Amino acid sequence: MRGATQTKWIVAATAIALAATACSASSKSSDSKAGASAGGTIAVELGEPQHGLVPQNTAESEGSEVLNAVFAGLVDYDRKTNAPKLRVAESIESTDSKVWTIKLKDGYTFHNGEKVTAKSFVDAWNYGANQDNAQESLPFFSKIEGSEELAPGKDKKPSAKELKGLKVVDDKTFTVTLSAPFSQFKTMLGYNAFYPLPTAFFNDPKAFGEKPIGNGPFEMDGAWEHNKQIKVKRFENFPSSDTKAKLAGVTFKIYDNLDTAYNDLRADNIQATDKLPISAMSTVKSEFGDRYIYKPESGVGYIGFPIATNPETYGKPEIRKAISMAIDREAITKTIFSGTRVPADDFVNPLVNGYRKGAMGDAAKYDPVKAKELFTQANGVPNNTIELGYNADGGHKEWIEAVGNQLKKNLGVEVTFKPFEKFGKILDALGDKQYSGAFRMAWSMDYPSIENYLRPIFSKVAIENGSNYGGYVNEQFETLLSQADQAKTEEEGLKLYQQADDVLIQDLPYIPVYTYMSSAAYTKKIKNFDTDAQGHMNLAEVELA
Amino acid sequence: MGRYVIRRLIQAIPVLLGATLLIYALVHYLPGDPVQALAGEKRVDPLLRELIREKYHLDDPFLVQYWNYISGVFQGDLGESLTGRAVTDMISEAFPYTVNLALVAFIIEAVVGVLAGVMAALRRGKFLDQLVLISTLLVISIPVFVTGFALQLLLGVKLKNDYGIDFFPVSFHEEDGLRAYLLPAFVLASTSLAYVARLTRTSLMETMRADYVRTAVAKGLKRRRVIGRHALRNALIPIVTFLGADLGGLMGGAVITEKIFNMHGIGGLLAQSVYQKQGTVIVGMVTLLVVIYLVTTLLVDLLYAVLDPRIRYE
Repeated sequence: MRGATQTKWIVAATAIALAATACSASSKSSDSKAGASAGGTIAVELGEPQHGLVPQNTAESEGSEVLNAVFAGLVDYDRKTNAPKLRVAESIESTDSKVWTIKLKDGYTFHNGEKVTAKSFVDAWNYGANQDNAQESLPFFSKIEGSEELAPGKDKKPSAKELKGLKVVDDKTFTVTLSAPFSQFKTMLGYNAFYPLPTAFFNDPKAFGEKPIGNGPFEMDGAWEHNKQIKVKRFENFPSSDTKAKLAGVTFKIYDNLDTAYNDLRADNIQATDKLPISAMSTVKSEFGDRYIYKPESGVGYIGFPIATNPETYGKPEIRKAISMAIDREAITKTIFSGTRVPADDFVNPLVNGYRKGAMGDAAKYDPVKAKELFTQANGVPNNTIELGYNADGGHKEWIEAVGNQLKKNLGVEVTFKPFEKFGKILDALGDKQYSGAFRMAWSMDYPSIENYLRPIFSKVAIENGSNYGGYVNEQFETLLSQADQAKTEEEGLKLYQQADDVLIQDLPYIPVYTYMSSAAYTKKIKNFDTDAQGHMNLAEVELA
Repeated sequence: MGRYVIRRLIQAIPVLLGATLLIYALVHYLPGDPVQALAGEKRVDPLLRELIREKYHLDDPFLVQYWNYISGVFQGDLGESLTGRAVTDMISEAFPYTVNLALVAFIIEAVVGVLAGVMAALRRGKFLDQLVLISTLLVISIPVFVTGFALQLLLGVKLKNDYGIDFFPVSFHEEDGLRAYLLPAFVLASTSLAYVARLTRTSLMETMRADYVRTAVAKGLKRRRVIGRHALRNALIPIVTFLGADLGGLMGGAVITEKIFNMHGIGGLLAQSVYQKQGTVIVGMVTLLVVIYLVTTLLVDLLYAVLDPRIRYE
């Protein structure tokens, strides 16, 4: 009797095992058609995305990471130069940087079989631009003509359903008219706000957010399992003109703690992560060797000055320059940040096209003697006191105190530190004029363009709508920006933006202290892993080692 | 007994209402804008901020907001988070992990803790007693996150990489079943386990000196029966109180343990919601936690009567 049961079990187990091998065998044979060593599944680290996975409603890195696998944009970014290169777009052309003609390539379809047409883009953008939908990407469409009709402001009803500036010419062509010329428009188009949407989205946006239907190299493999995982599998009908996924599938495993994710990586339970905990920095290089990737990331850390509200203390560019020169950036990035950040030497991030190494020249060089000289010549600051505000919730205390101590030592001033509960509190206090000291400030880009490091932080419009918290205004800077916007070519525009950057280097409205480095690591199980300018993993190119 | 239970349950209603109002008010008057809190450090586009605030009625007066919320609750609708998810969904996803973890941890601390305490008490001053005393002191003095990360690294990473034993997962996988809960539950239970052991030891030693135990021994009862039936049963009353309160606490989620082992339970959800000022999520969860506390304290009170027949509730 007992023997019989045992036999039954063995038979059952063998059957299951056979079925399993049969499955993998059949999937393998279809793989071999697709590519040489294609196949296999891996797991990678992810944080829980904030919203439903709708491209127009995703403004944070985690949702964006998944969307990047599931969708393909008009352009993506070269991993070496970070310049935009065409992807779904066949061409993106303009003679005046105002009216842009976008032609699409053949062969892209959504995962449900629907063809990707000009309408797929236009409908998606109209949806994102309409304030009734309250999509997070709303500000991205403000450059397109007619955007104010779709987003007239609170308590007003949109007077149109479609952006005046978007015109479908035929299935494969549409034109975009901007309200003002913008030479860098092409670089914006790789951002997920500009991804296309299938008609299925409009029937049920909420359900779509749980299981998006994209046009990218991977399709969803089941719905998003909240706080657990998101599984995607290779999209077999992805055009071969683009990079077809090599892996059969990827599981985004959801973590809320980088230390645990890193331990899972060390045990090869997941195969890659593009976020390493600080605690790993000292050993990751020896543990992962050349499977550890270390490269610039879009973040910048500044010391900001309330120029408009406290001109007596921080109004003079010489004083700001003296402060900048009294900061030992090298020491701060090495000892406090263990190399996860590097000294800043330009207002433009090393990541974007148009960055010039060492552009800030003297202003970013640590020179305590000259700093002191400059400071004294400019008659110092009232009460010989500098205030440094920071938010206490993000690990900023150490470096702000280090900066403060360097200023004390090198400029001979009194430095007082003011911790705030959150970054928003600093802004509130600056707004109510409760606080008028220098403050910690940071920025990371929305799209990889030089313009994104200038206008949203230092222009006049950014006082109301952006991150110009110091209230810095310089007409020359404004003029150069608008000239750069109107440039006929991207390169010409780049030069003019660099001149605008030069104005900032003269004025130092904020002092760039460091830029962030991104660190990623992957296990021996995979190869060809890398990350791009937006911090996305290149999952389509990854294969099993 | 039945009347007592009903009275206690009726008393719970005002407690619940008061708790929701209080928490709702606390969250409402916390400084800062929840829409900004979600976006991190970048300033939210002013129009977008207005639109989102309008969508979630954040600009309504406090009492209007509370009324809308509480009338929803009575219809079984706990509202929506600012990220557009139903709070009931969020709680029902997170809660099973917390309950399972709490139960496994509870069993570990009750069984191991009481056993260790009993053995220590019966071998007072001997090696086993010393061992229990020293090891529990050690466990109490090491913070949970140190034990957690150390065990994760040793049993999760090193054991797999160096010896090929893949038994304890580094992070939580639902598919691993009970095995997935063992390590986190042990870490979570460790401190309470130490307290239970020490409490049992002291309490039992005290009862062993009581008159009725001496009488029982004099009657010629077997040692086993003296300890099990007479001494331990009486000694357990303070331990049951402790365990009851602890179970309520365990059900409230274990922020640190959950974080270390990447279990997305109630604790982590609550901590995150407080940080992001997600009012509806916080109130929904706290209401649930208050219910759990009310029920566990009621159960503990009823258990007293079982352990000590002299206690009557009428």
